[in-house]
Amino acid sequence: RNSRLIPNAIVRSKGDKTTYFGHQLQRCRDYSALHYRLPFEKGYLVDWDAQKAIWDGVFSSEVLNVDTAESSLLITEPYFNLPNIQDVYDQFVFEEYEFHSYHRCTPASMIPYGRLFQAGGPSPPECLVVIDSGFSFTHVVPIINNQIQWYAVKRLDVGGKLLTNQLKELVSYRQWNMMDETYIMNHAKETCCYVSTRFFEDIQTCRSNPKQNSIVQEYILPNFSTNRHGHVRVPGEESPATDQVLHMENERFTIPELLFRPDDIGLEQSGLATTVAASISLLPDDLRGMFWANIGLIGGSTNFPGFYERLSSELLSITPVEYDLQIYRSEDAVTEAYRAALAFVKGPTFSTHAVSREEYLESGSNASRRKFPGWQSSGLTGDPEISKVVHESTIEERGQPSKKPSRPRMRANTTSSRRR
Amino acid sequence: MAPKRAAREQALRKVNATKQTLAPDIIAKRTKRHLDELEVSPQTLLLSPLNPISQRSNYTEPSITLDDDDEAPISGKNRVRQIVSDKRDPNAKKKKSSTKVRTALLYRKNLATLIEESVSHHHLLVRTPNHLSSTQRIATLPSHIPTYLTAAAPPPQVPPRLLCSVCGYKGAYKCKKCAMPYCDMSCESVHAETRCERRVI
Repeated sequence: RNSRLIPNAIVRSKGDKTTYFGHQLQRCRDYSALHYRLPFEKGYLVDWDAQKAIWDGVFSSEVLNVDTAESSLLITEPYFNLPNIQDVYDQFVFEEYEFHSYHRCTPASMIPYGRLFQAGGPSPPECLVVIDSGFSFTHVVPIINNQIQWYAVKRLDVGGKLLTNQLKELVSYRQWNMMDETYIMNHAKETCCYVSTRFFEDIQTCRSNPKQNSIVQEYILPNFSTNRHGHVRVPGEESPATDQVLHMENERFTIPELLFRPDDIGLEQSGLATTVAASISLLPDDLRGMFWANIGLIGGSTNFPGFYERLSSELLSITPVEYDLQIYRSEDAVTEAYRAALAFVKGPTFSTHAVSREEYLESGSNASRRKFPGWQSSGLTGDPEISKVVHESTIEERGQPSKKPSRPRMRANTTSSRRR
Repeated sequence: MAPKRAAREQALRKVNATKQTLAPDIIAKRTKRHLDELEVSPQTLLLSPLNPISQRSNYTEPSITLDDDDEAPISGKNRVRQIVSDKRDPNAKKKKSSTKVRTALLYRKNLATLIEESVSHHHLLVRTPNHLSSTQRIATLPSHIPTYLTAAAPPPQVPPRLLCSVCGYKGAYKCKKCAMPYCDMSCESVHAETRCERRVI
């Protein structure tokens, strides 16, 4: 596919006595006690020195080998990005790298240009909800006609980083001190964790037969001589007594459970399902059916096995009875926004959405504020005429608009009936 | 005969009531401190922007430079440091960056500072709702604009489930001294020996 994932981090390996910038991390041999310096703090780009170091490497001959002055750029930014931070994006793009033009947007806004909703019909729905669960947080983002409905966007403060940190804490308390082992615990999380659809049953399974039940997995920690990478012990596999083993038991599912029950650790927020319902309830009444029928998942933290099933199960029981529920997921949740953006830049409208360097040199960051309208230029309620616009275009495309969209549906696989 | 009572009274229950000795607001503070350690959102910062606890990180070491300087403390909100991006490739031809870029590289501000600046200084530009060409600089966020704050998920609708703080099973009981849940007596003794917080900040 020609895409490459580069860790957005400067990583110091004490074992290798080396500092790796971004893409160089693949050369790392010793993963123990890796120290990360991230340009992003709590989801926002604040460390421009670190970011520049990483980007310099990406543009250099070691990776892309591009002359940025001859290139255009599309870059995503977090939801509700701060205006003062947005100005610095402009400065680096145009004053430092001298890009010819660029477009800056949120990941969700690219999704309508991609193929996430392809299974439901040839063109993307006018009304859709993107659930973007990433490293720092999880957002529920309703979109109408490619416009984010900011007044209805909801944010859950649970993301991959919190989950890894919580796992580090639990394991450090119960087994081995892993507080410095970000890389290893992140890998253990991605390897072993899953979302349960029957939480208390699983809890009981672990309890009734500790270390010997159907849920427990033994994660063999890397030891840098024989095992460079950690992995789960396969039944029958022998390993030397010197290997250190993590018992992943209820940790396997209580960690990702935080996406659905943040209050398990005292975070005073509803879980993802309730948050989705809260978001849709802010949208125009007569459009809600379309939103319930077009929910898309992106972001690495949606990759946990069981995430889709659990979300489907919880949402099915709160979807209003007159609507259908349909959740779409990607072949690769991590790169879905990227692939959608690729379609966007190849499309006919990209140049009208991009700010050129000339425009920036002439009007500074005002140019971006005009061309990248964001949350700042929206109101607390939506456009009251929006329903009319949607229904008109629906009539053109599909005939009589109905509450239940006529696109072919995949039934969510659940054992409970949709309506009690 | 028993004396008549004017209204029906119930005798006081003589139960060995074990009283929780920890005040709810202290429990709330402890939870907040824990969430800061897990690096949950900066929403706590918005209430106390210069909370020193939230500058500590469980995941990252922002002070990594090419020198073996991982222990340098973060002092104050703006720190002048060495530029690591220059050191990445010492043989690269150095092009002089613009003033704004050099400022951004040299003076790293943490998120708390940036949030403060975006709200209180004149960095926030707002269009009037009809998308007229005039822009309005404002000192504070007007109430009709959705923001990071208004976007936070609603509070939970159901009471929390208590999970044992030691083993993760259902936590039916709470520690008398510090209100952390536990599931049985063996977990209770582990808790008491290891991390019962009799004195909580």
